[in-house]
Amino acid sequence: MRRSIPVVAATLGLALTLTACSGSGSGDTGDDTSAAPSESAATGTLTMWVDDTRIDEMKPVVATFTEDTGIEVDLVEKATGDIGKDFVAQVPTGEGPDIIVSAHDGLGEWVNNGVVAPLELGDKAGDFSDSAIAGVTYDGKVYGTPISIENIALVRNNALLTDTPAATFDELVAQAKTAGTPFSVLVQQGEASDPYHLYPLQTSFGAPVFEQSADGSYTDTLTLGGPAGEAFATYLAKLGTDKVLDLAVDGEKAKQAFLDGQAPYMITGPWNTSAFEEEDMDITVLPVPSAGGQPAQPFVGVQGVFISAKSENPVLANELVVNYLTTEAAQDALYAEGGRMPANAASAAKVDNPILKGFGEAGATGAPMPAIPAMSSVWAFWGATEAQIISGQAEPVSAWNTMVTNIQDAVDKV
Amino acid sequence: MTDQQTLEPPAPPEAPGPGSPRRSRGDGSHARNFSAGFVVKLILVALVDALGVYGILSAWAVESWGILTFLVLALVAVNWIYFSKRAVPGKYLIPGLLFLLVYQLFVMAYTGYVAFTNYGDGHNSTKSDAIEAISIQNETRVEGSPTLPLTVVQRDDELGFAIVQDGDAEVGTAEEPFTVVEDATVDGERVTAVPGWEVLGFAEIAQQQAEITELRVPFSEDPSEGSVRTQDGSTGYVYQSTLVYDEATDTFTDSATGEVYTPSDSGNFVSEDGDVLTPGWRVGVGFDNFTRVFTDSRLAGPFAQITVWTFAFAFLSVLTTFVVGLFLAIVFNDPRIRGRKIYRSLLILPYAFPGFLSALVWKGMLNPRFGFINEVLLGGADIGWLTNPWLAKLSILGVNLWLGFPYMFIVCTGALQAIPADTIEAAKIDGAGAWRILRSMTLPLLMISVAPLLIASFAFNFNNFTLIYMLTGGGPNFVGTPVVVGHTDILISMVYAVAFDSGNKQYGLASALSILIFIVVGVISYFSFRQTRKLEEI
Amino acid sequence: MAGTVVERDAAPRGRRWWIEIGWRHVVGIVTIVACVLPLVYVLSASLNPGGTLTGSNQLFRTIDLANYRELFTGDYPSWFANSIIICTVTSISTVLMGGAAAYAFSRFRFRGRQGGLTALLIVQMFPQMLAFVAIFLVLLSIGEVFPALGLNSRMGLIAVYLGGALGVNTFLMYGFFNTVPRELDEAAKIDGASHAQIFWTIILRLVAPILAVVGLLSFIGTFGEFLVAKVVLQRSEEFTLAVGLYYWAADERTARWGLFAAGAVLAAIPVVLLFLMLQKYIVSGLTAGSVKG
Repeated sequence: MRRSIPVVAATLGLALTLTACSGSGSGDTGDDTSAAPSESAATGTLTMWVDDTRIDEMKPVVATFTEDTGIEVDLVEKATGDIGKDFVAQVPTGEGPDIIVSAHDGLGEWVNNGVVAPLELGDKAGDFSDSAIAGVTYDGKVYGTPISIENIALVRNNALLTDTPAATFDELVAQAKTAGTPFSVLVQQGEASDPYHLYPLQTSFGAPVFEQSADGSYTDTLTLGGPAGEAFATYLAKLGTDKVLDLAVDGEKAKQAFLDGQAPYMITGPWNTSAFEEEDMDITVLPVPSAGGQPAQPFVGVQGVFISAKSENPVLANELVVNYLTTEAAQDALYAEGGRMPANAASAAKVDNPILKGFGEAGATGAPMPAIPAMSSVWAFWGATEAQIISGQAEPVSAWNTMVTNIQDAVDKV
Repeated sequence: MTDQQTLEPPAPPEAPGPGSPRRSRGDGSHARNFSAGFVVKLILVALVDALGVYGILSAWAVESWGILTFLVLALVAVNWIYFSKRAVPGKYLIPGLLFLLVYQLFVMAYTGYVAFTNYGDGHNSTKSDAIEAISIQNETRVEGSPTLPLTVVQRDDELGFAIVQDGDAEVGTAEEPFTVVEDATVDGERVTAVPGWEVLGFAEIAQQQAEITELRVPFSEDPSEGSVRTQDGSTGYVYQSTLVYDEATDTFTDSATGEVYTPSDSGNFVSEDGDVLTPGWRVGVGFDNFTRVFTDSRLAGPFAQITVWTFAFAFLSVLTTFVVGLFLAIVFNDPRIRGRKIYRSLLILPYAFPGFLSALVWKGMLNPRFGFINEVLLGGADIGWLTNPWLAKLSILGVNLWLGFPYMFIVCTGALQAIPADTIEAAKIDGAGAWRILRSMTLPLLMISVAPLLIASFAFNFNNFTLIYMLTGGGPNFVGTPVVVGHTDILISMVYAVAFDSGNKQYGLASALSILIFIVVGVISYFSFRQTRKLEEI
Repeated sequence: MAGTVVERDAAPRGRRWWIEIGWRHVVGIVTIVACVLPLVYVLSASLNPGGTLTGSNQLFRTIDLANYRELFTGDYPSWFANSIIICTVTSISTVLMGGAAAYAFSRFRFRGRQGGLTALLIVQMFPQMLAFVAIFLVLLSIGEVFPALGLNSRMGLIAVYLGGALGVNTFLMYGFFNTVPRELDEAAKIDGASHAQIFWTIILRLVAPILAVVGLLSFIGTFGEFLVAKVVLQRSEEFTLAVGLYYWAADERTARWGLFAAGAVLAAIPVVLLFLMLQKYIVSGLTAGSVKG
């Protein structure tokens, strides 16, 4: 009891104080040096958000731009899913980026929130394919420079089958079964199915999700219902009972199974074929055969570069986005670094990689992914219903019709 | 703001001054020497003051009045507390409280504010931003109009554009339409010099970007021919506004149809026919977001079921993780076990890996056809771990147990040390069995420090959105409900489905709903907390 | 339960060994298998450059350290350093601030004590739905006054984390502080010690186990946090491990699982090491003499 306040302990306490002090103190100095002021305006620095899969190809391209113009570009890495969300949240504060690189399907939301600035491609618009321009167009106005396009297609493992005579999806499945592999045509699913990967089949029944007007832009009139939609729903149920589609085959399983030679065909996109090539697989890319008689249209996703409506450097940003990134040279460079199908038609024509060309041909008939805000109401219902149809939990036609009603309700509320 | 605290050790130094606790217990003989401790305190408070004064000055400079006020109050509080002889508890509380105030309470206040607005998609910013956005989105290039190579020119403070039309150089400004100028130098299609005007190079353009991109030069005397603007300082196009904003009346007018749009209470410009212009802006909507909970028919359906599951999930998660954590802590609290250091270290592995990675791995392992559990452990069984409503619930609890027991294990291991070994020993000698010792001695003593953690853990799991989202996404889904929710959805993930996943993001609604959930959790916690207080003997 | 010195000498043997100790090994081994099993997937994926995370149950089909080598060519080492710095500072500060608060709650009687305690706990339960917008705004305005505490600053991030220093952890400590007999304080006071001396020299020493526990929990909690960190830190070289790893896995289509898994495996090492180091403080217990006073 008496020895409870030893002098030693007192010094220890003091030492603790000092350690704590120096501990946070050193953290402080470390930060003072590294916390570079990021938003100094008018010094000719553009802030550009890029996701981690594209930042490496963008680096050398903007470096060339900086060399040519003296305009610094500060590339900030963001998660793919955060770019659009943070853009909407941060632009109103005046602290957002000048430029973002993103898939086009968030465009409607950005326009609706007034965070993206329209731009004028002028004659340069003619350098791009129609679907690329359609992707970055919203409500008749162009908002971005398309840099690459991607879509899904049918990928064949040439080690298992060497030709594809099938004209319909049913014939394809029948032919695939002759390979004697555990799977025939892999279409990735999951607990909530995958409407994106099933979309070519759906469109081949003539049931696209939204009505498309003449210029390729979408209206918010739903077109996935009606007899065409019901026919597709019935077909889905059949693929489910035949175990062609299986919710247990998720993206991971499908990719691994194809890598392991367990299926002659897979409906997938270029993000996976690069992995197949790395494993030295011999593959061919083909359009998806029709299941319902009409052309099977995959969604076409356009990667675009967009300018913030509140950028403090509108001229510099336009110089980069409109005058530089649209050029054949810049798009060539992006392709050389990243290996994605360039949106610039001249650059795309030079691509001689047979796999990318295959995707390009399959996507030629494709439909741009709708960028209208109503689309976000669709995904959840769509996937949930398709999953219930495939797993046999729900009667296809009535489930599909309930889904259409529910989506219509949700769209009306938007 | 409270950076001063990061520079100082958060606890007050050993000030020897008379502490004078209110109920003077053992008050009396305090050392009066100005010891090292006092010097340390002096230095630290001086540092804090220096930083605070610096902050006040720079807040003054950038006109951040909120920060300034806060800093003044914080400085006064800090100095008073540390040099006063009265506020002894304050000396120990203030560092943490200041951080709490700035970072946590601000989030709460902000959420509270948003709950009373229509913040969300379409109502994302201020009215002036909305007006600007509508104006610019509705300025369209005149169809078939040419691309104009353009030169930016300046005379005194007046900016203008120079273009070439039919071989002649023309200059125009915001006030003056394009008119032909003599003696201008033209190189190809571009004007390179105009007498009386200075031609701006790219660097100079870059310095006045905002002014130049905002400049509209009437194409001709006839306003219906539109005006020229540039976005890059080198190319111009002819534009026409289809919607024109009039500041005096605060309205937009459609130049083609003459339709007038006036601002509405809900933060949009609306025409008489009910046509709405987007974007809108953020406005206060009172209690609308709160009342929607009761009026939105979509929420009514599976609400009861989800509420029951939320409580069950949160309660069972706490129970299972605590029981397993405590059990393991007791098992390895015996110093006779060889290698228990290694055992213990390996037991916290699930806690050391990123949670979302683990959730993804578990999702793969629970896959009904190909997952490790069915394919390898159960020899090819076809059990719908994530597709059967009850099994999915079980799986969620199981994975949460895996993720959460190391936390309870660490906490219990630490808390067990507070239980005097000799008391237990005495009970053993008296012939008490292990179970009895656990129930009547260990557990009650443990609960004193652990019970609040259990309540907190309950609250955490009540809102454990990430786990549900990563593992099942709420599925298996209910068939045909008007909001996509499923058997494993909890309240917070239902909020997410309603406010974000079905159409526009509605932060206002989400905030209101999460505040309601917070109230429920808070009230439950408050009462459980009062119960636990009975455990304390103090 | 808590073993004593006496027992350690007489190690039981045979059947008694099984009843008293042996089964504990069985429990340990079974639990560790359950703990490690899912992580085997992670390890396997980390050794396979092109593979998937859970696409196959055939583990360790390739053993290739390419992913680990790649980790060291990018920003990963600096993420690692950032995480260690940020988490160390945060956890030490949390222990000190939380400990001080717990001391105040445990040893002083003041107005608002009960209410304050409850409020601290309940504040932490507030759903963080809009935290990402709010934190951004608050750092934006702080950054104008104190640039070192604004966006893109590790200091700023630490400050945000310290906003949660008083909370659940304070409670854990509070409960533990209460088990330290007050007679000790009283005795010290009679000896002429001030409240600060009692806190720094007596209490903190006696509650070392819980300080270690809170330090560890705070370290791990900060180590795995990425929602706030990715709002605050925007440059790749400033990322913490959690943010960097999250970005690698953010896009499920293009996620580099191999690299991600390798990063996660290495990231788990400091946590386990820290626990190994702190164990002796956590389980040291209170020395009998000082407790009973």
